[in-house]
Amino acid sequence: MLLTLFLSTLLAVAAPADTITDYYTVETIPTPEGLIVETGGIAFMPDGRLVACFHRGEVMMYHPKTRKWSLFAEGLHDPLGVIPVSNNEVLVMQRPELTRIKDTNGDGVADRYETVSDQFGMSGNYHEFAFGPVKDAKGNLYFSLNTASNGAGIRDEIRGRYDSLGRQGRMYACVPYRGWVMQLSPDGKLTPWASGFRSPNGIGFDAKGRLLVTDNQGDWLGTSKLYYVEKGKFYGHPASLVWREGFPDIDPLTLTPAQLDSMRTREVVAFPHQRIAHSPTQMVADKTGGKFGPYAGQLFVGEMDFPRLVRVLFDEVDGELQGACIPFMDKAGLRMGNNRLAFAPDGSLWVGQNDHGWVGARGLQRIVYKQGVPLDLMDMHLTATGFDLTFSQPLDEAAARQVASYAFRRFYYKYHRAYGSPETDSQPVAVSDVKLSADKRTVSLTLGELKKGYVYELTLGNLRSADGKKKVANRLVCYTLNRLKSPGTATVRTKP
Amino acid sequence: MLSTFYFISSFWLWLHLFAEPAVTKPPVCQGATAAYADTTIVIRALAGLQYEQTRLVVKPKTRFRIVLENADDMSHNLVVTRPNSRMKVVEAALKMGTDGAKKNYVPNLPEVIANIPLLEPSHTDTLTLTLDEGAYPFVCTYPGHGYVMYGVIHATREPKRLPPVDEDPYVPKRADAGDHAAHGKQSAHPYKMTFPALYRTFMPECGPAAIAVGLPADPTAGQQSYCWDAGSCRLRYAWTGGFVDSYGHWEGNGNRLTKVVGDIYYNDRSGFPFRIGTATPVPQFKGYELVNRYPKFSYSLGSVQVTELIRAVPGKRGLVRQFTLSAGKLPVTFLLDQQEGVQYQTRINNVVASAKNGRLELPAGTRQFSVTMLVP
Repeated sequence: MLLTLFLSTLLAVAAPADTITDYYTVETIPTPEGLIVETGGIAFMPDGRLVACFHRGEVMMYHPKTRKWSLFAEGLHDPLGVIPVSNNEVLVMQRPELTRIKDTNGDGVADRYETVSDQFGMSGNYHEFAFGPVKDAKGNLYFSLNTASNGAGIRDEIRGRYDSLGRQGRMYACVPYRGWVMQLSPDGKLTPWASGFRSPNGIGFDAKGRLLVTDNQGDWLGTSKLYYVEKGKFYGHPASLVWREGFPDIDPLTLTPAQLDSMRTREVVAFPHQRIAHSPTQMVADKTGGKFGPYAGQLFVGEMDFPRLVRVLFDEVDGELQGACIPFMDKAGLRMGNNRLAFAPDGSLWVGQNDHGWVGARGLQRIVYKQGVPLDLMDMHLTATGFDLTFSQPLDEAAARQVASYAFRRFYYKYHRAYGSPETDSQPVAVSDVKLSADKRTVSLTLGELKKGYVYELTLGNLRSADGKKKVANRLVCYTLNRLKSPGTATVRTKP
Repeated sequence: MLSTFYFISSFWLWLHLFAEPAVTKPPVCQGATAAYADTTIVIRALAGLQYEQTRLVVKPKTRFRIVLENADDMSHNLVVTRPNSRMKVVEAALKMGTDGAKKNYVPNLPEVIANIPLLEPSHTDTLTLTLDEGAYPFVCTYPGHGYVMYGVIHATREPKRLPPVDEDPYVPKRADAGDHAAHGKQSAHPYKMTFPALYRTFMPECGPAAIAVGLPADPTAGQQSYCWDAGSCRLRYAWTGGFVDSYGHWEGNGNRLTKVVGDIYYNDRSGFPFRIGTATPVPQFKGYELVNRYPKFSYSLGSVQVTELIRAVPGKRGLVRQFTLSAGKLPVTFLLDQQEGVQYQTRINNVVASAKNGRLELPAGTRQFSVTMLVP
């Protein structure tokens, strides 16, 4: 009797011991001796080779089958992005220009470096990085241009028109299109596409082809952010406004934060500093159709300062995009410095690392899906009264139905000139009701209060799968609530 | 190697060392590098035109002493020069002729900071020196020796920022230096540096879209390099004695510029050299093609397409600039940068053609011309 009681108690408290490494594994790719693996860009060629560019100017190819590296091009200035054109041609974004690099004689080594676009300014300030390119379905290329840092001045000789009105502030834009995303059409027309960026190190698309940019915490960015970028919009860092057509001849910093706030388009997702990300990098959508596991269609974002990636759960509220972020592969074998991401043809996710001037790390790794489905949050949708959370697996009812399994806190980040922002007006938010769907995968939570303009941070409790074998893989998720659901809108729910 | 690289210090110097929190124990040799507080450094001249020690690291503004022991069977001196002045001093010593031996082959130049005179085999002499922050070459200026027999004194407060000794551009490379140096580590890249070599980087005295090109070394003239501005589409300057040191630019935040290694012998002062008709065109950079690794730059001047390929003049200090032009209806003028000491030889369509008053007139329809600059 005593023994039975002891055993049942033991069974009741025995927590599932699965970890993300039961489902995914991280492999480190050997790199050539003498290569400083500060990875600026990675992509896969049509023939399946990896193309990668590095800080000291090398563009190298790696054959995953033969595991051999070869040099394709050299001598570039801090290349920070590469995309293939064909098996013997790539586009590389380097500091001074977007360059088409070709091997025209078939010896495997590039012999032609054509300037595709250098129609943007360079003050010579070290922080004027150039990121991209990425290509949309219509063949348009996009690249993003970092602002300069007042950690240093500018050179005596610059490229492009100088505007002293853009020289103010912590991060500045005294030459054209610093702080902009640029579009280059297939017929060669360069269009300043959107403004208001500070340090847009990540540029890419979601699975639906929407153009996205990550930007880094700093002046005017209370925390790091993910933007959905649309033509003509301004995203909040003021320096770039001097290069907006029709903008008056004023220093943008003379506008009040309230004026600037009314002009800006908010982020789709804020990445809370310390908790989720310090320096988000490139994003990539999982279009592997399941080869990479259960997250097909979702978005992964790299992160410099934590040994993890970040996964984004989009939500559409009255046609507007917002959403949540959640760690992925946290402390599961990835290094820090996860600067560039690319899916290989076999569905593995390759991660190029970089530490240049930041915390980070150097190297190249890949994440390979093994088998099974971890218990993880797959969707987070705002409802009129709270949130619907959908998990990858049916949940154990006892834990899932407890209000205590869902701890909410909300806060906001100030939009102001200062560097970063504290979590402001932080308050716990009570969960007043929990409903579990018939398939036990969706939890509908009713919250005591929903307020727009806040980040809703949710810490999940000891949720486990219905079969008791899996524990929830990631407990922290942060939802950026820009817009409330209008009362008239019906909420699509799974059956209660 | 360790045992032959020794270190002398008095009790007083030991006290000094202990007073320095940064140096908590006697300097330790790492490879061929050692850090010194205030001390005496012994350098031995060895057979095969080499100093045993090729890199010294000292504190700026701190007195130190160099002892030169000539362990070779030939005579050698040791001349400390200002940064980036080794080749200038070596070439001046060559020109001293019969006067040279009397003056220990030490030319009377402001670039010479200090010297140990010519030593017979088995002789020893010393010099005492205090240096400001910088990389100061030391070299044997006995005729012929200075191309290979040299080293560097790094006066730096940040010895950790120095590249590994076998990647240090101021340290001579030796093919027979053994496995460690000969395989892999000589280059800043996962491949051996092959010249011509090109870097797009931040160069001094140039626009921010700069291109540095190192040309193959010439047995008599040594290595020449040049800086080409991809913003203004023109040659900016040229130097001898090496290529570039990019470590400072690569490391840290990238604010530091790449450095010229060697002596700049030509600096353009005339601006953009082309006129089309009477107009000064605005150039647009188009990129480059590699022809046997030589970059052939392309740029447009309105409707006129230009290519430019630059080689070293064989055996001499100077550059050959070969241009092509697309067909155009207007005459084109190329302005020669008129500077004292720069000589030009010009050819149009491969025929010698002389410039008048520094203007090379290219009749409408000219498809190729060349400008050879000699800076003896």
